Amino acid sequence: MGTFANGVHPHGSKALSAGCPIERGPEPKAVYVPLLQHIGRPAVPVVQAGERVLCGQLIAEAAEGLSANVYSPVSGTVKGVLGHITLSGKKREHILIENDFTEEEMFLPPLADRSREGILARIAEAGIVGMGGAAFPTAVKLGTDKKVDILLVNGAECEPYITCDYRVMIEYTQAFLAGVRLCMTACGAERAVIGVEDNKKDAAALLARAAGENVSVRVLKTKYPQGAEKQLIYACTKRTVPEGKLPADAGVVVVNVQTALAVQRAVEENIPCYERVMTVSGKAAGRPANLWVKTGTPYRDLAVFCEGKEDCGRIVSGGPMMGESVFSLKICTGKGTSSLLFLDKDECENRNASACIGCGRCVQACPMGLSPVFIEQALLGERWEEAEAYGALQCIACGCCSYVCPASRFLVQSVKLAKKKLQERRAAANVRGGKKDV
Amino acid sequence: MSEIANYRSAPSPHRSDGASVRRIMLDVLIALLPCLVCGVAYFGLYALLLVFLCMAACFAGEQLYNLVRKKPFTFDLSALVTGMILGLNLPPRAPWYIPLIGGVFAIVVVKMFFGGLGKNFANPAAAARVFLLLAYGSVMASYIGAQPGDLLADGETGATWLSGGALAGSFLGVRGYWGEILQLFLGNIGGSIGETCKLAVFAGGVYLLARKVIDWRIPLVCCLTAAVFALFFYGSARDMLRHLLSGGLLFGSFFMATDYATSPKWKINRILYAFGIGALTMIIRRFGIYPEGMSLAILFMNLLVPVMDRFILPVRFGQTDKNGRPVPHVAAWTMRGLCIALAAVLAAATPAYAAAEYDEPQKVALPASYSFIRGMAADRDRVYYFTAEGEAYLDEYNYTQPLAFEIEIDTASGVVRDIRPITQSTMGYKAELSLFIGKTYEEVAALTDLSADSNLSATFTNTALKGMVEECFLAADFDKNRKFERGGEYIVDRAHSELFGGTAFLAAGSAYLSEYDYTQPLLYYIVVEGDTVSSIVPLMQSTMGYTAELSLFLGKTRAEIEGLTDLSADSDTSATHTNQALKEMVLECLAAGGEK
Ligand code: SF4
Ligand code: SF4
Repeated sequence: MGTFANGVHPHGSKALSAGCPIERGPEPKAVYVPLLQHIGRPAVPVVQAGERVLCGQLIAEAAEGLSANVYSPVSGTVKGVLGHITLSGKKREHILIENDFTEEEMFLPPLADRSREGILARIAEAGIVGMGGAAFPTAVKLGTDKKVDILLVNGAECEPYITCDYRVMIEYTQAFLAGVRLCMTACGAERAVIGVEDNKKDAAALLARAAGENVSVRVLKTKYPQGAEKQLIYACTKRTVPEGKLPADAGVVVVNVQTALAVQRAVEENIPCYERVMTVSGKAAGRPANLWVKTGTPYRDLAVFCEGKEDCGRIVSGGPMMGESVFSLKICTGKGTSSLLFLDKDECENRNASACIGCGRCVQACPMGLSPVFIEQALLGERWEEAEAYGALQCIACGCCSYVCPASRFLVQSVKLAKKKLQERRAAANVRGGKKDV
Repeated sequence: MSEIANYRSAPSPHRSDGASVRRIMLDVLIALLPCLVCGVAYFGLYALLLVFLCMAACFAGEQLYNLVRKKPFTFDLSALVTGMILGLNLPPRAPWYIPLIGGVFAIVVVKMFFGGLGKNFANPAAAARVFLLLAYGSVMASYIGAQPGDLLADGETGATWLSGGALAGSFLGVRGYWGEILQLFLGNIGGSIGETCKLAVFAGGVYLLARKVIDWRIPLVCCLTAAVFALFFYGSARDMLRHLLSGGLLFGSFFMATDYATSPKWKINRILYAFGIGALTMIIRRFGIYPEGMSLAILFMNLLVPVMDRFILPVRFGQTDKNGRPVPHVAAWTMRGLCIALAAVLAAATPAYAAAEYDEPQKVALPASYSFIRGMAADRDRVYYFTAEGEAYLDEYNYTQPLAFEIEIDTASGVVRDIRPITQSTMGYKAELSLFIGKTYEEVAALTDLSADSNLSATFTNTALKGMVEECFLAADFDKNRKFERGGEYIVDRAHSELFGGTAFLAAGSAYLSEYDYTQPLLYYIVVEGDTVSSIVPLMQSTMGYTAELSLFLGKTRAEIEGLTDLSADSDTSATHTNQALKEMVLECLAAGGEK
């Protein structure tokens, strides 16, 4: 069974929703569709206030450079492009559409050209981005000009609670596998490996039976952060992606389960990317569920739909390890939102940081081989070379260090800050260096 | 649905593994409890007071420092942990002010001056122990033995084994070497309050390992290294085990070397660190001026920890060098190799050393002071090796010649295997060894003609040697089936006698020889069969004629002997005193009974 070095073993808590078949989620009265649901630049609106749109109609076009198309998730009337709060706390542009509940749909034109270029173009057209959370535009990733021999599908789902990928793998097995094959063509890989943690043995067995030629299933030892790209690649293929390089440099491209499903829907069913399967769970969710959720659905609609309880102590968008704490239910879902957790007071950690006792657990836990305790000390002392020597630049923000720290220190935040500072200093040095050249 | 309103936002991750500083400290306190309990059981309530004072001093010292520096009070239990560890490191009879000084030194000077929890560069308890050793050397080195009447009152030793104290010949019925090991393991010996009982240390250590509070690498590598060094420094597998179970090695490697703030953060560095401690401890024990080296070794390695932490770093995942080649895991493989090498050396060398030692005779503790026997050893075939000293009067020269022989008795065949003279006359008045070699006890005892061609001096030498050989026979016979049971006032021990076929007692007493105003020590070998006295062999009594009249007792029952009223020996008062003393001894032996 494959795995990677270090990491932690949080309790899975998946039983809450693992048995819930995927159902249709709430049909919101109004959706706030973010223009920026991906890494890169916000899409450019192509509709105006007052215009009527259909479900599946293009409402914003990919900007130049790294960006992605955005489609309307409902049929209704565009109320305008306006600023709306997001998880990060910043206001960003959203397209507000009032749902007329007619459910009139629009499809992409049928795709005849199933060559690599044809598929890549369709993926870009459909606005598909990585659905594991990072939301990198998929067409760019799969369209790499590097020689790729393995397409790795991330079915690890290593964050606690989340079960949407698991449900997709067992309920949409054929469609998912078709999507995997389309992705193989799109990136030119000869074979595909689906990495599944051993807490989902049934899914692994099911996939192994249905997989067919050149697609194999690799069962992985359950451990966090198995789904982190470099860790997953190592666990499944024993390849190490060198620092500062991309997976493609090691001949691998990684896609998420739902990304593959979205590709299948776009190519074979002509449905663009405007909805996804999400998990709503947590002990303070009265009715945990796996739902088809439209992008732009306010979290409040999900709270109502899944009967969020009054004693809810914290709401988390994403998993409990890396997910962000929700400060307002007005925030809306995007393509990369994999789950919404309603945690009761015993389920979530209230950190009261105290002095570091030097136990070294953070060093032992870090899957990247960094020394969080020393990075934090270097940050506080503004010793930047030291912070870099201890590896701050390589942090993947997985949170293992904070998870194990008995002094409850905010290690991941410290390391992230040190990384940011180092990157800023690098950029500044480059600018200065550039000037000198002139 | 009622509105969700009371949720709070907080930084990720939203989970933790549940470990907390307080819980960790509590775990350490729990793990130290067995050591404390054993320390109090062995050394009495005063030991408890010392540990308590030390904890109190540490706690108060920390809060006072906080008060003076206007910092918030700290209740993370870590001061109590330091106090308890230091307290358990103190000699059990240290004066009351020692824990106070030590506790304040540990907390205020070593910990708080350097920024408090997690920032101290040296282990507070180890530093304080070394400080006390330097400042109050004599007090800190005066160890007492376990108190009589304690849990396992078998051995009585004052000094620790490391500072030259002896171990008892048997412990809880386990004799010889393994008895010693058992004694060391259970800790019925001199030493610091908490570190003598290795069973308690292991119990606490295993608890900490199970709770994942400490890294197993540190105690394991520490002990492994110390074992290998001990094996080669002392050339003996037996001494290796003795060293592992002596002093503060185990206590230190479980409870002190594992201190978070002062041990390396990366697991691989911990191997190097523990290796250093184990090696230094044995080097100090072997070559240093202090009998014990654990605290010093820990302190020294503490100083190297910042260097290790800064310059030996984990290889990052995917780390490459300037040319883009993966960086090899040099440190990790070196340290793993070191561990494997240590384990391999230990596994290979120990049996070799042990096998060589197994054939060598092992020292046997003398149950009592014999007349002639000065040293005694036995090998695994139960051949006994004695050194015996005596004297012979050389008539021709009117000179008392000291004699010393090495005598070997083979108890399997019941004969004298060999005799080698060490000291005897160089003038030809030598013992005739052939009179004894190859003879049984009965044959030796029955020898009447020891005259050596009417050479009187040689005859005296032979006579003296005969006494020595007889004593050796009895001592070997007694040791072979010795029971290790203390008796009442006189009985030193009992054994099954193969020579006499009954229960043999060694009884020691004394008689006042009024003619000389001298108290004569007495030692008799008394054999009881059923309820009668079957043999009595005097091993030590007056040589001037005031000897006991054995026929008074031989073949008599308890009632008969109790009924003896006339013990006068031809109106010789001193001999009468001797007879009276022997009567008491014989009665005690009869009361203790025959074969059990
Ligand atoms: S330092 Fe970064 S990569 Fe390492 S455990 Fe912490 S968050 Fe994860
Ligand atoms: S886990 Fe926390 S307490 Fe332990 S060394 Fe790291 S920062 Fe310090």
